[in-house]
Amino acid sequence: METYDAVGENNFNPSSYHGNHTKQHATWSPYDNNGGTVMAVAGEDYVICAADTRMSTGYSIMTRQYTKVDEMSPKTLMASAGFMADAATLKKLLKGRCDQYQFANNKPIGCVAFAQMLSNTLYMRRFFPYYAFNIVAGLDAEGKGAVFTYDAVGSYERTNYSCQGSGQQLIMPVLDNQLKTVSPLVLPAVSSATPLSEEEAIDLIKDCFATAGERDIYTGDAVELFVMNKDGIRKETMPLKTD
Amino acid sequence: MQDPDAFDLGGFEFSASSHNAKEGGFTSKLATKTGTTISGVIYADGVVLGADTRSTNGETVADKNCEKIHYIAPNIYCCGAGTAADTEAVTGTYYVYFSIFQLILILKGMVSSALFLHRKSTLRESRVVSAQSILKSHLFKYQGHVGAALVLGGFDIHGPQLFTVYPHGSSDCLPYATMGSGSLAAMSIFESDYKDGMSEDEAKLLVARSIRAGIFNDLGSGSNIDLCVLSRAGTKYLRNFEIPQERTYIRAEGYKFKTGTTVINKRNFQTATSTTTEPKKIL
Amino acid sequence: MEETPVDFLSIPVSTGTTILACAYRTGVVLAADSRTSTGAYVANRASDKITQICDNVWMCRSGSAADTQNVAAYVKRMVEEHAMERNGTGFRENESNDRAMMVDVRVVAKLTQKIAYENKEKLQAGMIIAGWDRVRGPQVYGIPLGGSMLEAPFSVSGSGSAYIYGYLDNTYKENMEREECEKWMTEAISLAIARDASSGGVIRLVTIHENGCEKQCVLPKDHKVCDGELEQVATTTTAMV
Repeated sequence: METYDAVGENNFNPSSYHGNHTKQHATWSPYDNNGGTVMAVAGEDYVICAADTRMSTGYSIMTRQYTKVDEMSPKTLMASAGFMADAATLKKLLKGRCDQYQFANNKPIGCVAFAQMLSNTLYMRRFFPYYAFNIVAGLDAEGKGAVFTYDAVGSYERTNYSCQGSGQQLIMPVLDNQLKTVSPLVLPAVSSATPLSEEEAIDLIKDCFATAGERDIYTGDAVELFVMNKDGIRKETMPLKTD
Repeated sequence: MQDPDAFDLGGFEFSASSHNAKEGGFTSKLATKTGTTISGVIYADGVVLGADTRSTNGETVADKNCEKIHYIAPNIYCCGAGTAADTEAVTGTYYVYFSIFQLILILKGMVSSALFLHRKSTLRESRVVSAQSILKSHLFKYQGHVGAALVLGGFDIHGPQLFTVYPHGSSDCLPYATMGSGSLAAMSIFESDYKDGMSEDEAKLLVARSIRAGIFNDLGSGSNIDLCVLSRAGTKYLRNFEIPQERTYIRAEGYKFKTGTTVINKRNFQTATSTTTEPKKIL
Repeated sequence: MEETPVDFLSIPVSTGTTILACAYRTGVVLAADSRTSTGAYVANRASDKITQICDNVWMCRSGSAADTQNVAAYVKRMVEEHAMERNGTGFRENESNDRAMMVDVRVVAKLTQKIAYENKEKLQAGMIIAGWDRVRGPQVYGIPLGGSMLEAPFSVSGSGSAYIYGYLDNTYKENMEREECEKWMTEAISLAIARDASSGGVIRLVTIHENGCEKQCVLPKDHKVCDGELEQVATTTTAMV
């Protein structure tokens, strides 16, 4: 109610006069949530990393074509949801580290090493974290699909599939239902890759995003699927609802 | 030992209030903002009202095809939006949380029944200003705590009329109006393309376009477009006048679960019998 | 709770305003801009802040739209009851034999002041009551926020008033003729609109005199163009009057 700026004979200060007012001064926060959903599925000889392309703040859409998946090295994809400024800064830093690795070792960084590096980088900002929720997807040294999933401060785990971001609560139970297999940590080692073929996994991911787009207001516009296998990386795009 | 002061308080316990005061006051944790785009326009011989059909609960869509244009009288309809925190009413030991949609339904019920009785006693058609007057005095009484933002339209002996009513109890009479989180997007359409004395079709398309602006540019609004045309000729409620977008992908084989997907740990069969026996007496 | 861009809708509608009323030789003129805003959003660019109380008394409203609209409605009802008690039908023949609901301007101002004062904790309403009656002729009463009442030759209020006090004090003339007074007030409001962000739109005028009252509207294209201000660009949209 502070909008009334009375002057002259109306020289009352309404705030001291009327109780229960909304604050008018800016409550600035270093963080924002730009929404969006990212997910990854690992197969025996492939991995798929997907993300929607909507970037929003509050109730408004900033852009309908923001790519949330990046190629960090020939065998490593990284997707981030959360605060896009932090995610972009993080990826820029990590890309620099990947180049340093290349110069030092004369080979590109592998996805397992990258996964550890991301964890370390996130934990270095333990008390002012990057507000980004990441998934790393790649092919490991044996050519098997690998997915690593993180929290904002670097706790991570190798899994077969993962989903992060605003549609996480909608998609994760479906993935658990459709893909849950043996833990990769079980001894003696059992193959923990998903039972689905590459085409079946793509089909499932597309359906997950279409469904999340129906119920999550921050997921929509389009979904980009990055499919990595022995032939390299291929990108597929599918439109989603734009409302 | 019973605290003697407890009797003065009528059996109620207020220790939480001093705790809450220390914590900076109590605020309802269930406060949510409900996104909506509603609009209306006056044309040559009537009014067109429009609304989207998305109902949200935080960031999830609660209903993909809800109705936001409400009946007030045969010649008066009202679009409802809500922006304030949900109102919490306490009845006995139960906490009843009213969503903004319920609040609008209560408001609408109150106004429509008052106008119904007034029609029966005067044998005259209801007037839009009566609805406007009841709504604004009710909202003013509650000083913004009943957080309903409305677009009210109707056709009576004074011709087509359109009002916006704000949560604090003020109202405006306008040739075109928008409300809700998508109101800026919708207003941009009216401000660029509104004309005096449009035809019914022109008005319907303009309102549909304003709602579409809300649906696509405001995350709180979405799904379909409902319209309502009120004129001398009568009232037309055009439910799902436009369905702007369909789902883009459906998994061909669906989700079929094989028998045994859920592991059965124990089975127990019993024959159901229907016998009447005297209940055992408890000693 | 996360802030969203729709927060402007939970801010109460307020008439960040310029309102002005002035007595001339044989009547009074009330003037106002037409902008109603909620925060930074213009909720209504063609609002009417000059409300009729009875045939010979009108009110300029500033502050919370909800508060002033409801106070005006309440005063109007009390004035109608008062008129009916005094004149039987509520109507009284005036000199030109029109049936007019005539009430002493001072009575209306006093009733408004009473409501403003008794509810000062709850209200955010700055009002000006102006009118003409046979006993006291043209009168202007300012009723600012705390609920006091001051009669004056002219009264100005609202956020835009700060920009024009000096102009008004400097150029006011006693016993102006109607046209001169209307021109002077229109110019004052257009000066306030030019400087005050929460005043804008058209300029509305109401003139009250012995034989009744007339409403006028000055469109933005006819406002006085102030120093450094861009001339109004012609648009295809029909202006709302």
